[in-house]
Amino acid sequence: MDTLKLEILTPNGLIYDGEAMSVTLPGEEGEFGVLANHSSISTLLEAGVIDIEKEDKSVESILISWGVVNVDEKKVIVLVEGAVAIRGESESAIAQALGEAKELISSIADSNPAIASVSAKIESAAKRLI
Amino acid sequence: MANLKDIQRQIKSVSNTQKTTRAMKLVSTAKLRRAEELARRSRLYAVKMNQVIAEIAGRIKCSKIGGIDNRCFAKIENPKVVDIIFVTADKGLCGGFNIQTIKAVKKLLKEYKSQNVKVRLRGIGKKGVEFFKYNEVELFDSVIDLSSKPDKARSDKFIAASIEDYKDGKIDGLHIIYNGFKNMMTQELHVNKLLPVDSDQYECEETQSSMLEIEAQDEEHMLDSLVNRYVEYAIYYALIDSVAAEHSARMQAMETATSNAKDMVKSLKVKFNKARQAAITTELIEIISGVESMK
Repeated sequence: MDTLKLEILTPNGLIYDGEAMSVTLPGEEGEFGVLANHSSISTLLEAGVIDIEKEDKSVESILISWGVVNVDEKKVIVLVEGAVAIRGESESAIAQALGEAKELISSIADSNPAIASVSAKIESAAKRLI
Repeated sequence: MANLKDIQRQIKSVSNTQKTTRAMKLVSTAKLRRAEELARRSRLYAVKMNQVIAEIAGRIKCSKIGGIDNRCFAKIENPKVVDIIFVTADKGLCGGFNIQTIKAVKKLLKEYKSQNVKVRLRGIGKKGVEFFKYNEVELFDSVIDLSSKPDKARSDKFIAASIEDYKDGKIDGLHIIYNGFKNMMTQELHVNKLLPVDSDQYECEETQSSMLEIEAQDEEHMLDSLVNRYVEYAIYYALIDSVAAEHSARMQAMETATSNAKDMVKSLKVKFNKARQAAITTELIEIISGVESMK
C-alpha cells in the first residue's frame, strides 16, 4: 500500500514529519480519514485528535487546537495553532504529555461540548501506549 | 600642548563609554540567542502557511468555474486606500536598523502618492512612530512597546481592524514593512503585500488538478478564517523576526562602538605620553638653565 507524506507544523516548530499509511483528521464538518493519493482538499480543523497510522501499523495521536489542512496527491500539510503529541519513551513521559494535552484542551475548549469526547480520546491513546 | 589633566579626563570618559557599550553588546548577544531561537522555530510554520495560502490563491485563480468570490483573493484594480504597517524597534542604538525600515516606508508612501492612492500608516514601535510624528506625517494608528515584547494576543488585536476594514471594502490593500533577521551579521528588509493575496506567481498547469475542493457552505467561512489566521500570523512572525534582527543589529553596532572606543583610548594614550614627555623635558631644561645661570 502506498504511503503519504505528512507534515504537522505548529508555530513552535515541526511536530510530525514523515510517512504514514493513513491519517484521521478532526474536520470542522466531522472527522475524516486521508489515504495516499487523496484528491486535493483544503479545510479547517477544530480542536480534536489527529490519529496517524504509521507504516508499522502503530498509531500515534496528536492533540490539536485550531488548524488548517491542505491535502494534495503527494502530501498532507497540517498547520495547527497548538499541538501536543501523546508519545514518550517512558510511562512518566507519557503521563506528562497527557497532562500537557489536558491543559491544552481546557485552555481552548470550554465552549466546546466535544471537550469530553476529546479528553476521552487522548486518554485511550495514552492507555494504548502504556 | 594639551593639558595633561584634560587628556586624562578624556581617557577616563572614553573608557567608561567603552565599558557601557561592551555591556550593551553582551546583553544584546544574550537576548539575540533567545529571540533567534523563537524566530527559527516559527519560520517553518510561517513559510508553510505562505505556501498553503499561495496554493489556494492559485487554485482559486485557475478554477474559474468555482465562482469563489472572496475579496481577499480578488485582484483589485485601482486601489484607493491602502494600509501600510511598519515595524521598528522601541529603542535606538542599533545602527541603521530603524532608519532602513523608515526609508522603505517613505519610498512606498511616495510611490502610492504618485498614483493618488490614500495611505493609512499604522506603526508598531516607538522609533518609527516618533520619526513620523516629528516629520508631521499623519499616522492612522500606532502602538508602542509591542515590538520589543511580541505578544500574539495584542498583535492580533492590532491587526484585526485592518482585516475588518479590508473585508468591508474600506481599504484595498495591506502591506507590511519590517526588518528581519537573516544571520548574525545581516538584516533583511521585507516589504510584503499581505492582502489581497497575490496569485500572480502561480502558473496554471493543466496536468495538475486545479480543482479546489471545499465544502460548499463551508467555503466562505473557511477562506475567511484562514485569511484571518494567515494575516495574524504574518504580523506576529514579523514581530518576532524583527526582534531578532534588532538585537543582532544592536550587537553589531555596540561591537563597532566598543572597538572605536578602544582605538580612541589608544590614540589618547599616545597623546598623553607625548604631553607628559614634553612636560618633563621642559622641566629639565628649566632646571639645567637655572643651574647654568648660577655659575
